[in-house]
Amino acid sequence: MTATLPAADVGMRFALSDDQRLIVQHVRDYCRAEIAPRAAEYDRSGEFPRGQLRGLAELGLMGATLPEAWDGAGLDSVTYALCLEEIAAADASVAVIVSVQNGLPEQMLLRYGTDAQRERYLRPLARGEHIGAFCLTESGAGSDAANLQMRAERDGDAWVLSGAKAWITSGGQADTYLVMARTGGPGARGVSCFIVEKDRPGLSFGRPEEKMGLHAAHTTTVTFDGVRVPAENLVGEEGQGLIIALASLDAGRIGIAMQAIGIARAALEHAARYAAEREQFGKKLREFEGVSFKVARMAARIEAARLVALKAAWLKDQGQPYGKEASIAKLLASEAAVDVTRDAIQIFGGNGYSREYPVERLYRDAKVTEIYEGTSEIQQLVISRAVFAEYSD
Amino acid sequence: MKILTLVRQVPDAEARVKISGGQVDLEGATLVMDGMDEYGVEEALRLREGGAAVEEIVALATGPKRVEDALRTALAMGVDRAIHVETDQALDPIALSRVVAQVAQAEGVSLILVGGQEADWDSQALGAATAERLGWPQLTWTNELALEGDTLTGRHDVDDGNESFRVPLPAVVTTQQGLNEPRYPTLPNIMKAKKKELRKDTLDAYGAAPTVRVVGSDIQTRARLNKMIDGKDPQAAAAELLDLLRNEAKVIA
Repeated sequence: MTATLPAADVGMRFALSDDQRLIVQHVRDYCRAEIAPRAAEYDRSGEFPRGQLRGLAELGLMGATLPEAWDGAGLDSVTYALCLEEIAAADASVAVIVSVQNGLPEQMLLRYGTDAQRERYLRPLARGEHIGAFCLTESGAGSDAANLQMRAERDGDAWVLSGAKAWITSGGQADTYLVMARTGGPGARGVSCFIVEKDRPGLSFGRPEEKMGLHAAHTTTVTFDGVRVPAENLVGEEGQGLIIALASLDAGRIGIAMQAIGIARAALEHAARYAAEREQFGKKLREFEGVSFKVARMAARIEAARLVALKAAWLKDQGQPYGKEASIAKLLASEAAVDVTRDAIQIFGGNGYSREYPVERLYRDAKVTEIYEGTSEIQQLVISRAVFAEYSD
Repeated sequence: MKILTLVRQVPDAEARVKISGGQVDLEGATLVMDGMDEYGVEEALRLREGGAAVEEIVALATGPKRVEDALRTALAMGVDRAIHVETDQALDPIALSRVVAQVAQAEGVSLILVGGQEADWDSQALGAATAERLGWPQLTWTNELALEGDTLTGRHDVDDGNESFRVPLPAVVTTQQGLNEPRYPTLPNIMKAKKKELRKDTLDAYGAAPTVRVVGSDIQTRARLNKMIDGKDPQAAAAELLDLLRNEAKVIA
């Protein structure tokens, strides 16, 4: 342990407040009724789930944690995290779009935008009238984000952006793109952040990537061919871009952790129900230890990951550092999601491998949580750096 | 004018109910606002949003403390305030109508919306009993409502079809599926609902002791015949299945 124990105003309390309970229950009921029944269909068609997002926007979930003054729902991070679990348990594609919107572009504009930028770009995002995208990754700069090559050159009252981004969630569908581009020399300090609207001349999008899972969440390349944006589209200061991007990623990681937990929980629910009904050798599957112990481990992994993720969210609400906890949560939750969904398929046997049943989709959807918004390897880097910092004298 | 909407809390349609000690045991069951009552709450809100001079919408519920959750849902949907007559006693529709009628008079409401039937009792008697007590007209099984001044117009299902009606208020109206599509409360409104007035009354104040007492409950189970058809000859098996469905189960013509 570190030398001093962290202090908080309240002790360890795991109960939800009345507000939190009512909201999470409400979102659970909503997602079960409106989102889950169509998840398989969206997975097959690969259609962008606009109707689903509109419904969630009406509840307030497209601007969940933003203050009401900016048209948000004003949720605390813990409640929002639990809402994301509910959305992901119903449809992981919808959940990642919601998570990106809330965690990245909105947080960046809220924390670093000017009031004029918030008025113009944040409000429509919060109301869900606009979809937001986060453009950091390039084909040659994934985990090594500080090495990004895309350039922005100053030209009078404007910036001219040239280059290409890869793996952009909601690419082509989003209205507002928060783009990291190099305005100075090499390295992290040479990067700035810009707002680019969808209709800017020179902006184009690749076809949605043919992915293993998350079919309804479109992912594309985004190409900037001399895209001009006015100087007022710079977010924060020149050279502050990577700090803005990485600070938002901490919150984004809690979101992805909760997405992973939601996927895993859905798999556990399906597996437990199936094991209670399916019989082999004259017994229910759940009467075999080979199955019941698997179910126990699945539940244990989910519970452990959820507790860390909620702790990270709680630390964020307390205004305390939470980067290490967010990374631990993302690491544990994404690994749990992949293992739990794979185990669920095993419990379903041949049926699990069939698209007639939902668990193969959950497995495909789960895998990417170990990759995006920081791979498991990057999470381990973040965690280990934090640990070494704690023990250095 | 004021509108009173009755709200009941019932097990979710997918809930599995248990019986213990001869009573329905709701422990662990998900409880929700009765769908029929959601139509009433939604319709009250729509009448106001449609421009009718609705001064206030009040939701009323009776039952144990947990019923508050259903009232909070109504408040989150947009109802102005709520009255909870807290009691652990189960009220039959006739006893309940005594409470509804008294609240309606005390609050000076001129329109009462109640579910046409109830998910947990299904007597279909509450609207009629309330109207009878108050001496008000009742419009049952409504499909459409509009309010102009003190006149309520609309359509409703009757035995031999569907008729249009016009009635001067006050009146009792019962709702049904198809009247509207109830809204989901927004998350900020769920939080704001906590700040709205939720008044607690005791049942004693209404003198509404139920005369019906539940002495036992059973879960309805349907015995299955488990009839197996030999499938060696597929054509004969299909013919036999058709015959059974047509002549024994009588589910096809």
